[in-house]
Amino acid sequence: MDRGAEIIIPRSVGTAREPKIRQSISAWIFLIPALTFFVCYQVYPIFRIVWISFTDFEFLSTEPANWIGFGNYIEAYNDPLMWKSMGRAALFTVMFLPGTIIFPLILAILVDRVRHPLLATVYRLILLVPALIPSTLVFVLWKWMYNYQIGPINYMLVEVFNIFTYYNAPQWLGGTNLTLPSIAIMEIWWGLGYHAIFFLAGLASIPRDMLEAARLDGANEWRVFWHITLPRLAPIMMILVVLRFGTSMAVIDEYLIFGGFNRGAPTYTWTVYMYDQAFNIGLWRQGFAAAVGMIGAAVMVFFVAGLVYIFRPRG
Amino acid sequence: MLEQDRKYEANTPQQAWFAKHRFSIIRHAVINLFMLIILLPLSWVLILSIKSLPDSMRGQFWPRKFDFTHYSYVFENIKTLGGNMTNSILVTGATVLLTTFFAVLAGYALVHLKPWGKTFVFTILLLSLYFPTRVVAIISIYELQDFLGLINVTSGLILPYITLNLAISVLIMRSVFQLVPHEVIESARLDGASVWGTLWFIGLPLARNGLVVVFIVNFVTAWGEFLLASTLINDQEARTMPVVLAAAQGGMGQWAWPRIAAVYIIVVTPGLIAFSFAQKLFFKGLAEGVVKG
Repeated sequence: MDRGAEIIIPRSVGTAREPKIRQSISAWIFLIPALTFFVCYQVYPIFRIVWISFTDFEFLSTEPANWIGFGNYIEAYNDPLMWKSMGRAALFTVMFLPGTIIFPLILAILVDRVRHPLLATVYRLILLVPALIPSTLVFVLWKWMYNYQIGPINYMLVEVFNIFTYYNAPQWLGGTNLTLPSIAIMEIWWGLGYHAIFFLAGLASIPRDMLEAARLDGANEWRVFWHITLPRLAPIMMILVVLRFGTSMAVIDEYLIFGGFNRGAPTYTWTVYMYDQAFNIGLWRQGFAAAVGMIGAAVMVFFVAGLVYIFRPRG
Repeated sequence: MLEQDRKYEANTPQQAWFAKHRFSIIRHAVINLFMLIILLPLSWVLILSIKSLPDSMRGQFWPRKFDFTHYSYVFENIKTLGGNMTNSILVTGATVLLTTFFAVLAGYALVHLKPWGKTFVFTILLLSLYFPTRVVAIISIYELQDFLGLINVTSGLILPYITLNLAISVLIMRSVFQLVPHEVIESARLDGASVWGTLWFIGLPLARNGLVVVFIVNFVTAWGEFLLASTLINDQEARTMPVVLAAAQGGMGQWAWPRIAAVYIIVVTPGLIAFSFAQKLFFKGLAEGVVKG
């Protein structure tokens, strides 16, 4: 076990039991503030949602909710919009996930080789800048980047490269087909530096002599990367894939800000569908919304568990 | 091989230097391209916030005429702005302080006080990271806040905000406290220090780097939170800055582009300044708590 215990055991053999219980109680006093909030605002809401999803609960309705069993789940299962909106979330994940792993990996490998101490520090500082911009401010920033009137992206396309005119310049946001790729690019930009920092930490843990020895043995850079660097980075990469898969399947803020509640828009995913049902339409059918949310969360957790199983440590 | 060598054979000293550093130059060019991509959007907004009104409607990056009055203008003319700013500061400040405090206590207890059921607590906290609680739970959080009478009450946001990053904060503090040897804690206890004294004077200074990470992670989340703030708050005066900015449409008058850009810069700067003071500790903490943890 832990090394600390070995030193303490001889002294406390006789009175081991009583202080242990006392210690456990004082430890729980330390845990109580965090766990109280965790239970009230994370654990309880989930159980409450599960319960609501089996009722016809409507928030604004004055009638009491009735238990309807799997009624909401059956309705959601037969609802084409449910699966279409799941598909949209999956489509976004496919657009976003490869880029948010590969670009930071390339960048980290390049920055890792910078030997100049000042430059190396400056690069690392710049890498962290996007991670320090709070989520909504990133979305607002890119809402302006993509703006068709004053946005610099369309300015470049029209005035500098003359690919478009202002009449046929692409409309990036607002529920067009370009909206999901535009959001994916924004999210890749957001994670670029932060993920690179993760990879840099992994690269720093590779012993230099190992790389030198491989090069002296005649391995070229590609083989060094493939047989030494990549296996060493694999654990970090897998954590990022699992975490980012989860976040990208359950994106909601971006879709609410960029897409709105148009059911035909590619940003109308299961999260927006749930939100729309729970806080916008009619008497706020939260029973049905809860079922939509639970189905979406269950599918997501199923794939996350699959990824964790595939990436489980072996050997 | 020989063929290749001849190809790069240098005729002048300049060419020799270039041939020797070829890969280094390409590497730095690619790195700098990435750095430019990272920095350009933010610098574009910064420039926009000091453009004159006519220049803001033209696309050129560099304006013909600067106008630095937008910053004072927004505070004098957008009446609700000061209130929204105060809301954000209040909610974020309380959230960051409370979450960090709770996370320090819980992380310390999980590692050094060895409570009954610590493996269970750890597992539940870890599993919660893989469930989209933030999205799904909003329905019952709305109900809960409504029951507590906290709909449209800005300070009510603090309660759900604390839990946004609570699990990850506890896990970070846990892995940071694991780097503090048990012997150090135990010997302080045997010397007669109280549990609190040990944590405050022995544990916390050694966990400083992780503390900075938890602080910054919670600040960034609370300062930019949108979903809860826009769902639980309806009145313009009670709103926080992210919701105000997300709803702002660039146009005329108060909401002319350079003026919103000025508001944006005011909101985005505190985090960047705080980080520039704490960056050394932050990088160390990131390596200790997040990457190894």
